[in-house]
Order: sequence, then C-alpha cells, then structure tokens
Amino acid sequence: MQGIELSIIYVTSFAILLMGYFTAISSKDLIRLLIALELMFGAVFMSLIPLFSAISNAAFGIAIITIFTSSGELLVLIAAIVTMDRERKNIYTSSVTIGGDKL
Amino acid sequence: MNIEIETLLLLAIAGVAVLSSLAVLLTRDNFYASMFMSATLVMVAGIYALFNLQPVFVLIVFIFVGALGIVTIALAATYRFAPERQISVLWALPVIITAFILGYSVHISNLASLEKIQFALQKFITPEYLLLILFLTALIILLMLSVLKMGIEKEEGRS
Repeated sequence: MQGIELSIIYVTSFAILLMGYFTAISSKDLIRLLIALELMFGAVFMSLIPLFSAISNAAFGIAIITIFTSSGELLVLIAAIVTMDRERKNIYTSSVTIGGDKL
Repeated sequence: MNIEIETLLLLAIAGVAVLSSLAVLLTRDNFYASMFMSATLVMVAGIYALFNLQPVFVLIVFIFVGALGIVTIALAATYRFAPERQISVLWALPVIITAFILGYSVHISNLASLEKIQFALQKFITPEYLLLILFLTALIILLMLSVLKMGIEKEEGRS
C-alpha cells in the first residue's frame, strides 16, 4: 500500500467520522442518532483497511468482531427506539430525561 | 506526477463516500439521510473490494447495509414527520435515457465471457474463526433475547 493511498483512507475515515459526529450532536430524534452512529461505525471499518497490509488474518478477525459487536449495539438501539416510542409516544432526544451527569 | 489508476479509483470512491456522508448531515429528511448513510457504507465496502478484500466487503454489505441499513431506512420511513419529495419527477427522464443508452451499448459490445469465480473466503475458514463467528452470533442472540424479555416484562407490568 502506497503512502498516498494510506493518506486517502485516513483522511476519508476522519471526514466520515466528523460528519457522523456533527450529525449526532445536531440530531433532534433518535432515528437521526442511529444514522449518525452507523456512519461513525462505517468510518471505523474504513480505518481498519491499512491493518490488512501488515497482519491480514488478525485484521480479518478484528473486522469480524467489530462488525458483529457494532451490529449488536445498533440492534439494541433500534429495540430501544421502538420501546421508547411505545412508552413516550415520541422519539425526540429532548424527551430523554434520564442518564448522564449534570455539571 | 504519475498516479496509478487504482489510486484514482480509490480517490473517486472516497470522494463519493465523503460527499454522501456530508449529504447525511445536510439533508433534513431522515429517510434521505438513511439512504445516503447506506450509500456511504457501500462506498466504504467498495474500498475493501478495491483492495481485494471481498470477505469484508460481503460482511459489510450483507450485515451493515443489507440488514441494519434496511431496518434503519424502514424506521426512518415509518417515523417520517413531514413526507415531502426533495427530488423532482423530471429527473426520471434523463435517468431512463441514460439507462437505455447504457443497456444498448452493453448489448452491442462484444464483452468477454466471465471466468469461473475463485472464492477467496476459503483460506479464512479455520476452526478458530468459525468458533469466533459462533460466539458472536450467540452474543447477538443473547442481546436480542434480553431486549425481548424487557419488552415482555413491560407488557406484563402494564396489564
């Protein structure tokens, strides 16, 4: 893998991660948050590519673990969105009142 | 400066990926945002295919785009607050003309016959990785069972 290809991959990965982050902080409903998280996981998958040139088999194992665990997390978030809709009758992030700390 | 064709292709795919992720941020409709998100993930998977890493391409496209992406699109379409069309119907005309020209040019050109596909996943299938996939599948089933149990308990508490 050439240096220019490596830089393209890392710059693209960082740009997608940044877009996902901006989408997450500007989201007003949980669907948007889910989309932002999937985008950020996409950026993480992309940053794994250079690892394949050094240790391909281990990198494939890491990719499998990342894909499965992130899928599990997102599936739980989807279930949480549906549960919240049944409880609160809306999916706005502003209606999530518990969780986190107040400074 | 001599840039190889693969680098140019990588640059093009990465550019489309960044632009579609920017579209996720800029579009106001969740449905279109989920479509652009799926396009970004397909482009990321395309970069894996470009480096001849087809097993990861298949995993990303099948699991992330095929399963999670479609569920996200379905959720975004269900919880769509203000259904409005952002694309004019008139765009269908150039799309149909382009598809016709493309189809006709493929039909009249003498394409070489396809060779037998050499599937590259075979060398990755070792007992260790099979065990890993088995454990991760069990993890996802356990996660889903716990969510299901939570839903049933809430139903029972309500009734």
